[in-house]
Amino acid sequence: MNFLTIFARNLKQGPQTEAFPFGPAFTPERLRGRIEFKAETCEGCRICERVCPANAIRFAKTPDGMTFDCWHNTCVFCGNCEFYCPTDAIHQTNDWNLAHANADKFEMVEHGLIANQTCVECGATALNTAPMVKNAKPPLSSEEYSEVRARCPKCRAKYLKNRKVPA
Amino acid sequence: MSTNTVPETFSIPVGPLHVALEEPMYFKIDVKGETVSHVDINAGHAHRGIEYLTTKRTMYQNVVLTERICSLCSNSHPQTFAMAAEKIAGIEVPERGIYLRVVADEMKRITSHLFNVALLVHLVGYETYFMHMMQVREIGQDMVESIFGNRQDIGAMCIGGVRYDLDDKTIAYIKGAIDKIEVETKDIIKTFKSNGSILRRTKGVGVLSHADAITCGVVGPVARASGIEYDVRRAAPYAAYDRLPLVVHSATDGDVWSRAMVRLEEILTSINLLRACLRDLPGGPTNINDRPDIPPGQAVTRSEAPRGEVIYYLRTNDTPQPERVKWRVPTFMNWDGLRFMLQDAKVADIAMIVNSIDPCLSCTER
Repeated sequence: MNFLTIFARNLKQGPQTEAFPFGPAFTPERLRGRIEFKAETCEGCRICERVCPANAIRFAKTPDGMTFDCWHNTCVFCGNCEFYCPTDAIHQTNDWNLAHANADKFEMVEHGLIANQTCVECGATALNTAPMVKNAKPPLSSEEYSEVRARCPKCRAKYLKNRKVPA
Repeated sequence: MSTNTVPETFSIPVGPLHVALEEPMYFKIDVKGETVSHVDINAGHAHRGIEYLTTKRTMYQNVVLTERICSLCSNSHPQTFAMAAEKIAGIEVPERGIYLRVVADEMKRITSHLFNVALLVHLVGYETYFMHMMQVREIGQDMVESIFGNRQDIGAMCIGGVRYDLDDKTIAYIKGAIDKIEVETKDIIKTFKSNGSILRRTKGVGVLSHADAITCGVVGPVARASGIEYDVRRAAPYAAYDRLPLVVHSATDGDVWSRAMVRLEEILTSINLLRACLRDLPGGPTNINDRPDIPPGQAVTRSEAPRGEVIYYLRTNDTPQPERVKWRVPTFMNWDGLRFMLQDAKVADIAMIVNSIDPCLSCTER
């Protein structure tokens, strides 16, 4: 392509720069942006906390249950947490817009709570985490799932052990 | 002798910032008139302590940390690190995983080479064409961002395979993007062969002879432009390179122009490798879907980064953290060659010659 062809093409196409902030910016579907946490599907295995290279993810035990915090200003958006999460409880959205006033810097946190519950079997207080039943054979029905979920870890293990598996 | 005589030689500082890239490297250059008579290279202006940091993080965190050593070889570092961990633990990467590793590697190579050659055109002073080349590179950058989710730190690697997967939609997208880059790159090669401004500034400038190249032990496109046909992808194939149509390009002149041409031709080879990968992409898992503990041991692995051979040494112990990680990056070998390239060069060509080794100080001074 000679120079005149490039010139004509560029003249037709107009500026290559993006119109942002006056227009939308190029944002691919797979862009690795802000972290999103869904407490309902979290197993509480805390693997995300261990693989996070920036130590942006912190779990803490509180009287209400276990809290999840991901500090967006510490996060490096590597996506290790999403990759290693066994239940897709962590998801990286393609939202890159994290600009904020300095006064709000301590509010740039993705917060979640895995609440405490009372075990329906033994009455002990335990976390209402998603049960680790990915490898259960045959897969649990939705009634079985909620029954397992309403129990404490010990009673969950007992429930799964005593579960009648059709031969 | 009159009092107003000017001394015959001057000593001028070049750097430590803004030589060709905005990275710290200091040259103390003795000039005789406009000609360089002696070069003193002074490195070590930045120390980020990354080698120490790797021993404070677990193996799985280190894949991300090594990626952040350098943004242009941000795939080669974690890949070589993961290869070392896999060697120690005896992990075999699934077939689909090794092909996807090549895809990630070659995409980064295309954008890295285009960046370097575009900068060369900028230093030549041909700003219009620099803008055009950066726009061509932007096709590649958009492709990388759309596939991996980030323009530079692509996060493709993990110990035991790759983290991303391709589907029909993304494969079609990559094919469309590399077709566009191929047409433009062929055009750039034509321009490099015919444009007077580029030829006059780069032909016969910064020559590194074959013998000097061997003395310095240069690697990558710098070595290949001096007639050393050495490419880790062929010398010690890793990933899927042993079954792909890899062509190793070389030149004999060893000047700035040859190094740029080797890079431009490698872009075309990378495009062919990408096409072959996408055509032969086997099915199955992309990684081992597990997080095994890496047993105590040590391993040395190497791969071909865009700048040349990168070597990783990894020693692990009973803890999740490695005991020692050490890497030798291509720029460490290549900047020795600058001593020969800059000898008798013109002062105006210094920045261009420095750029022609594609220096990556963030890799070298970590």
